[in-house]
Amino acid sequence: MPRVLLGVDVGGTFTDAALLADGRLFSAKAPSTPDNQASGVIHAVHAVLERAGRSPHEVEALAHGMTVTTNALLEGRAAPTALLATEGFTDLIELGRQARASLYRLCEQHPPPLTPPERRFGVPERMGPDGPLRPLDEVACEPLLDELAAASPQAVAVVLLHSYADGAHERRVGELVAERLPEAHLSLSHQVVGTFREYERAATTEIDAGLSPLLSGYLRALVTRLSELGLPAPQIMQSSGGLIDLETAAGHAAVTVLSGPAGGAAGAALLASRSGHPDVLCFDMGGTSCDVCVVDGGRVRETTGRLIAGRPLALPALDVHTVGAGGGSVAWRDPGGALRVGPRSAGAIPGPASYGRGGTEPTVTDANLLLGYLDPSSPLAGVALDRGLAERAVARLAEALGLDTIACAEGIVRVANAEMVRALRVMTVERGVDPRSYALMPFGGAGPVHATAIADALEIERIVCPRASGVLSALGLAAAERRGDAQRSVLRSGAGLTREALRREVAALREQAARVLGRSPAGSAAVEVEYHLRYQGQSFELPIVGPEDPDVERLMEGFAEAHEERYGYRDPESEGELVTIRVTLREPGPELDLRVTGGPPEAPGSGLSRREAIFDGRARPARVLARPPEPGQSLEGPAIVALPEATLVVAPGWRGETDDAGTVILERA
Amino acid sequence: MTPPAAEGLDPIALQVATGALRAACEEMGAVLVRSAHSANIKERRDASTALFDPQGQMVMQAEHIPVHLGAMPSAVAAVLGERHEPGRSWVLNDPYAGGTHLPDITVITPVFGDRPHRPAPGRASAGRRSALSLLGFAASRAHHADVGGAAPGSMPADSHRLDEEGVIISPQVLDEEAINRLASRMRQPAERRADLRAQLAANRIGARRLAEIAHRVGPDRLARTTEAVLDYAERRTRACLSEMVDGARHARDVLEAPEGDLELHLEATVSGDELVLDFSGGALQHRGNLNCPLAVTRSACYFAVRVLTDPDIPPSAGAYRPITVRAPEGSLLNARPPAAVAAGNVETSSRVADLVLEAFGRALGQGTMNNLTLGNDDFTYYETIGGGQGACPDADGPSAVHVAMSNTLNTPIEALEREFPLRVAGYALRRGSGGSGRHRGGDGVVRELEAREPMTYSLITERRRHPPPGAEGGAPGATGRNLLDGRELEPKVSGRLEPGQRLRIETPGGGGHGG
Repeated sequence: MPRVLLGVDVGGTFTDAALLADGRLFSAKAPSTPDNQASGVIHAVHAVLERAGRSPHEVEALAHGMTVTTNALLEGRAAPTALLATEGFTDLIELGRQARASLYRLCEQHPPPLTPPERRFGVPERMGPDGPLRPLDEVACEPLLDELAAASPQAVAVVLLHSYADGAHERRVGELVAERLPEAHLSLSHQVVGTFREYERAATTEIDAGLSPLLSGYLRALVTRLSELGLPAPQIMQSSGGLIDLETAAGHAAVTVLSGPAGGAAGAALLASRSGHPDVLCFDMGGTSCDVCVVDGGRVRETTGRLIAGRPLALPALDVHTVGAGGGSVAWRDPGGALRVGPRSAGAIPGPASYGRGGTEPTVTDANLLLGYLDPSSPLAGVALDRGLAERAVARLAEALGLDTIACAEGIVRVANAEMVRALRVMTVERGVDPRSYALMPFGGAGPVHATAIADALEIERIVCPRASGVLSALGLAAAERRGDAQRSVLRSGAGLTREALRREVAALREQAARVLGRSPAGSAAVEVEYHLRYQGQSFELPIVGPEDPDVERLMEGFAEAHEERYGYRDPESEGELVTIRVTLREPGPELDLRVTGGPPEAPGSGLSRREAIFDGRARPARVLARPPEPGQSLEGPAIVALPEATLVVAPGWRGETDDAGTVILERA
Repeated sequence: MTPPAAEGLDPIALQVATGALRAACEEMGAVLVRSAHSANIKERRDASTALFDPQGQMVMQAEHIPVHLGAMPSAVAAVLGERHEPGRSWVLNDPYAGGTHLPDITVITPVFGDRPHRPAPGRASAGRRSALSLLGFAASRAHHADVGGAAPGSMPADSHRLDEEGVIISPQVLDEEAINRLASRMRQPAERRADLRAQLAANRIGARRLAEIAHRVGPDRLARTTEAVLDYAERRTRACLSEMVDGARHARDVLEAPEGDLELHLEATVSGDELVLDFSGGALQHRGNLNCPLAVTRSACYFAVRVLTDPDIPPSAGAYRPITVRAPEGSLLNARPPAAVAAGNVETSSRVADLVLEAFGRALGQGTMNNLTLGNDDFTYYETIGGGQGACPDADGPSAVHVAMSNTLNTPIEALEREFPLRVAGYALRRGSGGSGRHRGGDGVVRELEAREPMTYSLITERRRHPPPGAEGGAPGATGRNLLDGRELEPKVSGRLEPGQRLRIETPGGGGHGG
């Protein structure tokens, strides 16, 4: 059955498109257009359609990952938003958790709330952990609603204390607001987040309210331009790694805050499973930054509590850690005479010195060019690289450091690698995981250049480099599953924790998740239930996967086992407490045939030449493969392999094979 | 070919070595925080990990909270002269022998590697003996939830002698027997044992990583590498200090002891690229527990210097070489046994940091952690409350944050009201409490808690009588207030609450900067 699937991913520097048609993968890159991401998207779509020789009408499904919400958060941009909170607690959003933003930069501020004090209103009510302490005073609400209307917000966030336990007051306040301000976007904290810990719930709800008008504006404009071209409405990537309908995303901006990196992680998980190496450490190195994640058994590790641009996000998200090391990261000398790289990036404009667009500072890409890893004659996303300009930029820094130019270039790459190694350690050793038990998967335009060096530093024995690693995020989007999540803190223990009570909770959450997915509960989606448990008195929960109507004793036993495995003991004297239940509905993505077919125009081995490249301070003649290796083709370092939109550098001491999907599996010789 | 020894490391090797040492310390910290049981360690992250060279110089430290910055080297110094063997670790908490206050327990593990060998040129090294040599030490310090003594939590408000505050551990070997013996004298001994084992596990990781680094650079070059890292930090600190104007600066401030104000003085002198911080002439050690050992005074000074110089300088002994801290023996800031020290680490340390910042023209933050303990037979609850930060020369001070030696998270209202017989009656910014100025001081916090059962309370607070000063004409922040049902309380006080009674704490604002 002929299917044409399209994925478009917006990165900090480039917008990538991947098109799958009849088992063949086509890719294209266009410069990102931060002011209006839709332009870059349209350019990339045009380019890939042209390359594949397809018309827009043939595209059956379009999946989109973007950074509209991420960028808005980074810049603190939001629609005019009001916050309604329990009277006496309207400052919660500003008080935060009391820890300061930086240990030593005493005046560094947390990002200010999206709602300023004059747009925060106290609601006359007070809910306690076990029900209302003060009923909602609807009469006293009237003047409050007048004030709210006078502030004419585009969005309203309602966050009342203990609403995770009882959402009645929030729902009623929501009805009153909707009557008065029918045009305003409304986010109720017990629906958007559902978990306890008031600050994190408030901050997440505020993000949902303040960004939804921006996101829906972007998506509506995009869908108009796409439909003019004859393309279908896109599905939108969530932070959780699953797609949802455009309309749902437009109303729930909070679930899209990590939309960008999630596509890459989803692609990595897909290729990891496909390659027979389901446990991989991934690093996605683009022009601006490097995203790191861990795939266990073919699934990306997730987290529920994290900070984005200094703001907490209390929703399920893939556990992606970002550091400022990309191809465009600028190298510099610090006051102590050490060589540093990043976090500042030369971005797409002016870009690395070798782009010849006016950049004069040396970047990682310039260093890679000087070391012979990148080919000056083959353009990077349409830009030819100028070796002379790179050399001039690196030489200037080398002089300041008292090094020769090539040693300085090697230094830049080593320091950038150290930054990524540190990020990979944060995701492994700092979470109690031994990186040596994983394979390494490099992707992103700049990732595969650095793969063998990073594997060496982490003592990783195997590298899995997908043929499409240059556009893996876009491929991940095209192949992604659809997903809906719902969660609620129930904080039940002892007699309150019965099978019947759990069944009711799970059924309600399942219905809520189905609404997110836009399906009836009886749909075909797979149901997954996570129970987050702890011993009473603890502050951290452990997630236990269980059935929809779990036997309470078995659930507790599962928790005790997990606790013992994680912390080295179980505590028979403490009572277990069920803190939160999360229901996830998943609909698998399209089955993809990723086998490389059609054969190459020439026999394998052709297009082969040699180029000098520097490894460990020595110039070595490296074999250069000008096109991706064919299934079955073996490789031996030193070698440099051109992949679509990326370059794989195989250091001496590594050798590898190519599988039927074109994935290169390298091992230490 | 041997590179010339005089010339440290090249800029790349330097950056890579610094990164590797930092990563090793951070990994130690991760193991400690992840496997510890005390809430103080795993949630508040009141813990530190560090690596030392064989001479006891701190090569690198992971920074979780600043209060341990300069106090770790004293602990290693306390065991440096002992006979070290592989697998034999040391433990201590005695503030007068390497410690800070009793809840902070330090575990030190020596690290061994192959003995450096220097084969004659051209000859194979076949005949070398694989003897062991001392590469350095791995050390971890953690604030345990309880170390015995009269009060649960081992942070009494009214102690007069160190031995009332908990078990005093003089430097000794930490083996299974010692773990059991020490823990049996503390509350929740199982948790104490687990926390000590977590510290040992952290040290083992640090030891392994240091040995790996030694292997990578060559065992005979480890010393040169670590020395280069120390020199690098020293160069960067000196570069910052030499930009400061030479000469003496002065500051004076007070601590609000129950018996009256205790005055503290500082003369801070910059000459060239060196700094002397001299606290001579201040209060003598007192009968309460605001005393601190010199190590704590040093930590607070190093914290302030990091604020005033460049926080990116790697935290190592090298960074502190150009700094001399002086406080006369027997004074509040260099107390002698058997003076009590429980509050010294939390409140006096804040004031020491204030003095240094004030001497350099900074407006000051709230200068207290607002320690509140509530409890009865069924529960104990401890919290610290943020306040206003002092304004900087170029920016407003943040509001409602921990300002100096602490940086811990609060307890969410929705958790607090569920777990304890307490209701939060109010929680808001104390608007207008920050001092005015070209740049405003941060605002304090108003927090009001209502008792639902009979219970006792204890408050250790500061800046209730004297406000945090502003600088360069900026106004001071508002003093803090402690109120019981509207009646004002002393800065340090304990008493009883009946159901329905409300304790209201208004934390100080930060000072403003510029008129």
